[in-house]
Amino acid sequence: MKSTKLYTPPVFRIISMNIAKWGNPLGLKKSDCASWADGLQLPTKGKTILYTGCEYQMTAYIRPLAEVLKRMKFRDTLFSAFSGLQTVGEKIGVDLMKGYTKVASSESETYNRLLRMAALTLKRLGIDFAYLDGELYSGALLYEYGLFDELEEQAKRIVNQFKGAGVTKIIALTPHSAEVFQQVYPRFISNFDFEVVPYISAVAEALKKLGTELSLPEPLTLTLHDPCHLARALKVTEEPREVIRTITNLDFREVALNKELTGCCGAPCETIFPELSELVAVKRAEELSATGAEVAATLCPFCHANLSKGVGLTGNKLRVADLIEIVYQALEVSNARA
Amino acid sequence: MPEPKQIFEEYYDKLLHKAQDDDMSLGLARSVRAYREGRARALERFPHTIALAEEVRRLKEDCVGRMDELVQKATASLEENGAQVYYAETGDDALKFIGEIIGSGKILVSGKTLTGEEIGLRHYVEGLGNEYWETDCAQLIQQLRKEKPMHYVYPSLHIRREQVAEILTDLLGKKIPPDIPTEIRTIRKFLRSKYFKADFGISGCNVMAADTGTIFLLESEGNIRMSTTVPPVHIALVGIEKIVSTLHDAFNVAEVVWRYAGFTVPLYVSMISGPSGTADIECTLIHGSSGPLELHVIFLDNGRSTLAKDPILKEALLCIKCGACLFECPVFELAAGYYGGHGYFGGLGAILTAYMSGGFEEAAPIAYTCLRCGRCTEVCPQSIDLSRLIPELRHRIVEMARS
Repeated sequence: MKSTKLYTPPVFRIISMNIAKWGNPLGLKKSDCASWADGLQLPTKGKTILYTGCEYQMTAYIRPLAEVLKRMKFRDTLFSAFSGLQTVGEKIGVDLMKGYTKVASSESETYNRLLRMAALTLKRLGIDFAYLDGELYSGALLYEYGLFDELEEQAKRIVNQFKGAGVTKIIALTPHSAEVFQQVYPRFISNFDFEVVPYISAVAEALKKLGTELSLPEPLTLTLHDPCHLARALKVTEEPREVIRTITNLDFREVALNKELTGCCGAPCETIFPELSELVAVKRAEELSATGAEVAATLCPFCHANLSKGVGLTGNKLRVADLIEIVYQALEVSNARA
Repeated sequence: MPEPKQIFEEYYDKLLHKAQDDDMSLGLARSVRAYREGRARALERFPHTIALAEEVRRLKEDCVGRMDELVQKATASLEENGAQVYYAETGDDALKFIGEIIGSGKILVSGKTLTGEEIGLRHYVEGLGNEYWETDCAQLIQQLRKEKPMHYVYPSLHIRREQVAEILTDLLGKKIPPDIPTEIRTIRKFLRSKYFKADFGISGCNVMAADTGTIFLLESEGNIRMSTTVPPVHIALVGIEKIVSTLHDAFNVAEVVWRYAGFTVPLYVSMISGPSGTADIECTLIHGSSGPLELHVIFLDNGRSTLAKDPILKEALLCIKCGACLFECPVFELAAGYYGGHGYFGGLGAILTAYMSGGFEEAAPIAYTCLRCGRCTEVCPQSIDLSRLIPELRHRIVEMARS
């Protein structure tokens, strides 16, 4: 093997520096990550936690980041200029994007609303949980990029945080964090001895115990986009369908490529090859639209964002939603009736 | 050699350009649909293939751990059968051996060989002043288009019949209509004029049995039979990861390859263990009967031993090149073999490219194209866990970018 100095895109440096310094890839402030929980009075310590990993919070900023990357291609100069700011303690990432694009605060609000719904759904279902103060990002992207040393560092920080808060069980809201905790951390650190439950599995189990049928305010045709990491890595394919089946006025239509053969939304390559990411999103959006459903529900913020973009580019009238909001609405209706 | 960053940029520009080519996406969409239906039918009719594939994974795992021993065994068997055997540590070594056998001013006909693509065989042989004809229809189309193959089993799966008609019209200087049967007949006639003039026949190898030294070649066109039987000399290029212990194991591998490649039943399976021979006069074996007078087998390492020593990435050597993964890859569906190096495609191809065909410079952007969505693993007969391998490959790239 030749030992040539290889090239990796500058975005790697930015993301790993942000994670080390700010706890998340985009350098969001603690308050940016936690504002969704304002007023919910969630405990900040406890055995069971709802872990968001700042992923829904970041999603609003990923599209602007991709736009910046599209404009800059692989030109390092701009990135280098911003990397310099790191030394004077400035945030990079979000500031960089704010300089070049307008981050839609309404989009940020959409994802914060989803997080509130996710938490309230657990409450309605009688699940007690805490939300950690200053939650750290799982490091899933570090694993994706092959930045293993940085991942190990982040894993250690997370374990310290969890142990300090007395955590034993993690309800992982996103497939990426559930996968990284369950399947990757044990390869890097020896003391990751927490129970990890994907969010939808916790919801499915609680709904089954409750045994009630739910309904939406209006009948709805819906298809499900199984997130890759949920369906294949974590092998969670039946739980979302069980949840969907409890909603009586929902007409469920399977997309041709479903469950373990689900199609990628294109998000994984968005930070490196943004244009390619769009083409993959369009393809999947077309497959989902072909079901004729009004709504395509998913369970991952990156799928949500990229499929929304894909649908927008195809001009289809499909609405992309998170299954979280469908379940929340159905619970609201039955709550109002009770 | 361009700078690694330039390789990254040029790769992505080309990939993106091709992914936006409507002509190509139409050809690809047709091929993907037809392949998926074909594979489903094949597995429905022969459902035992799924369990057989698991058995093949286990036997290949065992073989990757003892490639040296298998090479020795296969060499002894082949020599016993009257073949001449060479061991090439690098692609350049293999080219040199082949160049010495061939010389210049000759005509060669070749069955499709991925290993030949890996080392740039055609280019090299032509450079020595020889005429080299690909005899697989799709591979010939790609040769005439001056484009690399796009898939292991279906090299021109992105090309429509209208484009084929244009290529053949150019080649023959007479109008060929865009009609598939006419095109295939035209290619048939053209190639048959070459087989009997050829001095050398080239082939790869789908799998080899060490105990008998038997090369298995799977095909439907009959071009490999012609190329390896008609010319007086047959040269086979064999990657050392293709060797399994026994003839029985080789049969099992072969059956899994053809079924996952989308062929329910292979039209031809050639098993070649030596040059032709006869013992028809006084039961005394003489080599060189109706078939080739000589068989030269070139075993190629070219990074395979290094890859076999990597505790995690060695899993890539279990690949049997059926190409099932590519038909399920969302990026391949858009860009075909432009998502890949010059010989190997897709995410797994990034690993093979890094170690065997283009080095880490060429492999780096391919590695970062993989979505790590994992759908390939669902259809891979060897269940190669690419979602696990890709971060590992990237980790090695990151380390090399730092050093």
